[in-house]
Amino acid sequence: MEGVRNTLIIVPSYIPFALVCGVASVTAGLTTSAAIGLPALVFGGSAQAVVTQFLQNAASLWIAVLSGLVVNLRMMVYSAALAPKLRHLPRGKRMLVAAFLVDNLFAFLQQRERERPGDPHWVEYYAGMTLILWPSWALFCVVGVFAGNIIPASWQLDFAIPLSFVAILANSVRQMPLLAAAVGGGIASVLLFTLPLKLGLIAGCLCGLLAGLLVERMQKA
Amino acid sequence: MTELESWSVVAGLAVGTFLIRYSFIGLFAQRDMPPWLEHGLKLLVPAIFGAIVASGVAISGGAIAGWTHWPRYAAALIAFGVALRFNGNLPLTLISGMVALHALTALQGWLALP
Repeated sequence: MEGVRNTLIIVPSYIPFALVCGVASVTAGLTTSAAIGLPALVFGGSAQAVVTQFLQNAASLWIAVLSGLVVNLRMMVYSAALAPKLRHLPRGKRMLVAAFLVDNLFAFLQQRERERPGDPHWVEYYAGMTLILWPSWALFCVVGVFAGNIIPASWQLDFAIPLSFVAILANSVRQMPLLAAAVGGGIASVLLFTLPLKLGLIAGCLCGLLAGLLVERMQKA
Repeated sequence: MTELESWSVVAGLAVGTFLIRYSFIGLFAQRDMPPWLEHGLKLLVPAIFGAIVASGVAISGGAIAGWTHWPRYAAALIAFGVALRFNGNLPLTLISGMVALHALTALQGWLALP
């Protein structure tokens, strides 16, 4: 239930993005049924946004799908980080956990691990978060498909998305190498923003990793 | 697009994304994680969150937000300060950041600041 409560707080931050994703999938030319299926089955806003953008620019279907997958490659890191804690679960449950793994769920898990290391109930916590996040995300994407963008841009609600990660970031950068990784990743991802296929985000993360390693080495020296 | 084309995009993306998510949880679950990978992950995670925050703040409407968007940057810093002070309290961080953004945007308008 704690997971449910924690997630309800961030739902408003995602509503504008979900609406935009819904609108974009229609303007990109997806059929209505596919536009409804997309958020439910893919469950990842940035990949949805990238795919629809590529379709709109009349890219080939292959390129569009591939670029969406490139954006989602960061989830492999989340998968690797959770893997040791999931070994004891049967395959079906592991598949379920994997299916809903997105940025904010993973971020919340990181936060919880810091507050309560080795907590045996984290899978229930995860389930509680998913119970809110997945249906609400799909719902507001579908609202976007049918009703368009109903929240005025002047509310600047899109800003709430980075804010929801600020809270978690503040807790995770209390050591110099981790801070360097975050700052390096942040600066590089913005500077490399113009790279094609949204590669800037991935390149930026790798720069952050290098910055962290560098600071670590300097500390040891 | 036809129904078939639309759904092949959805299916391709859904299956590919699931395989990415399931990669280490399922596909290579039986192998032990090498120490260098575990160490790399520890640094890669804050790098990813840093990149999400920075591009979310600095990129607005598909372009880099220039210095006339200073309320965005200032509000992000204020929220970060609040988060540091209150141990990453999520509601406080969200509210302080949004209030700061709107207050500073209003201030920018009233005082006719750049």
